[in-house]
Amino acid sequence: MAKINLKKIILGTVLGFAIIMFGLYGYAYYKMNSSYMPSENQFTKRVAYIDLKTALLSDGFEICDSAYIVDYYNYAQGDRVHRVTSYIHGKNGLRKAVLSQYQNRNYSDSGYLNFRFIVNCKGEAGAYVIHENDLDLMPKSFDPDLVQQLFEITTSFKQWHPNHLRGADRDSYMYISYRIEHGEITEILP
Amino acid sequence: MERLLKYCLNILLILSIYNCESKEEELKRITDYGFSFYQGSPPHMNAFAYALELDATNASNWRELSVTYLKRGIPHEWKKYYDKAIIHDPVTWQPWRGYLYLWFYRDYKKAIADFNASDTLTPNFIDAPQGHSVDYWRGIAYLGLKDYENSIKYWDKHINRETEESGEDWVEINAFLYRGIAYYESENHDKALENFDTLLRLFRNISADAKYYKALILKAKGDLKGAKTYVLSAIEDYNMGYYNNRPYVEALRQIYPEDLENLLDSLN
Repeated sequence: MAKINLKKIILGTVLGFAIIMFGLYGYAYYKMNSSYMPSENQFTKRVAYIDLKTALLSDGFEICDSAYIVDYYNYAQGDRVHRVTSYIHGKNGLRKAVLSQYQNRNYSDSGYLNFRFIVNCKGEAGAYVIHENDLDLMPKSFDPDLVQQLFEITTSFKQWHPNHLRGADRDSYMYISYRIEHGEITEILP
Repeated sequence: MERLLKYCLNILLILSIYNCESKEEELKRITDYGFSFYQGSPPHMNAFAYALELDATNASNWRELSVTYLKRGIPHEWKKYYDKAIIHDPVTWQPWRGYLYLWFYRDYKKAIADFNASDTLTPNFIDAPQGHSVDYWRGIAYLGLKDYENSIKYWDKHINRETEESGEDWVEINAFLYRGIAYYESENHDKALENFDTLLRLFRNISADAKYYKALILKAKGDLKGAKTYVLSAIEDYNMGYYNNRPYVEALRQIYPEDLENLLDSLN
């Protein structure tokens, strides 16, 4: 009887010690991993983040779930319904609408004029951010009239197909990029 | 007690191995942690930025940071990070940059320059960013420039090499589609048909794009009945999802339902 008890005590001690050691190991692992922070320029927001306080045309624009905004191209394998974010009249419709409205008013600019925005779960667009780059992708400033003209055209596309992911329509980050050469739109991406 | 001592020693051994890992192992542990988060989220970005503080020469990690901007329409940030990947490993990442210039920026000239640079960097090896040879991508880039002669030249090179090495049925079918389009746009309808027919033969007679172009050619030849048969079949293929498209960005010469419907309307 005394022999069995001793075994139990040893086993219990070993197990208890092992559990403590593994706990310490796990804690150390967690602490090490969660401390993967660069010493400077730490990222506090996701790359696609758009600040509604500073974005253009964000007054009155509502996001369905600010904690879960997907990217326009997201889809889940196995979802019965697959739908990435897209303009309600399709890419051809968007291209046609842009090119029929845009006028090259003797602009000499070349580069990429990008508009990033949010399409909410209802398919409404809002909260725009503008990026202006030259053809070498370096920041530049386009003719303000060209920017204003394409801003007005881009924001006139009110209705979109929202991204549909894991059984529900989602808010998503979207962008339109205009490749411009000597004031002419040569590509509309993505 | 003896066993207890053994267990303790084992645990200490594991901990000491963990603490004595090489720099490569440490970097892998950090980047594995980063990869466990959504690309572009703060923990993902911070893990890679942290890894780069430990080793600023790791080209893959610069590239990983860069693509988060590429996919979200922020060009200058993509370039800032991606160019550092090329500084540290041009052999791997310069042909890849060509692929990204081609699709995400539609900068065909810059794409071709990077593909050509890969010929110099690896003279005895044909690089294949994103699974296709640089000749395949040059075929598309020259088509984007409407330089049909060069486009067809690189499609020939790619298709002949693939056929010699693995057999015609191993050639990616879009090579025949794009070579056919290059011939179609340069008004060589017979050679175009040859390529679309090859595609259909190799892919169980399914392809909305090949049938769409065949219908266009038959229409041009005055065979409206034949054209209608092909465009109706193209619509069926399209509705089943068999059309040329890409993730993230529109494919070059991508067709849409309205293209097929407009063609059908023009035949009635």
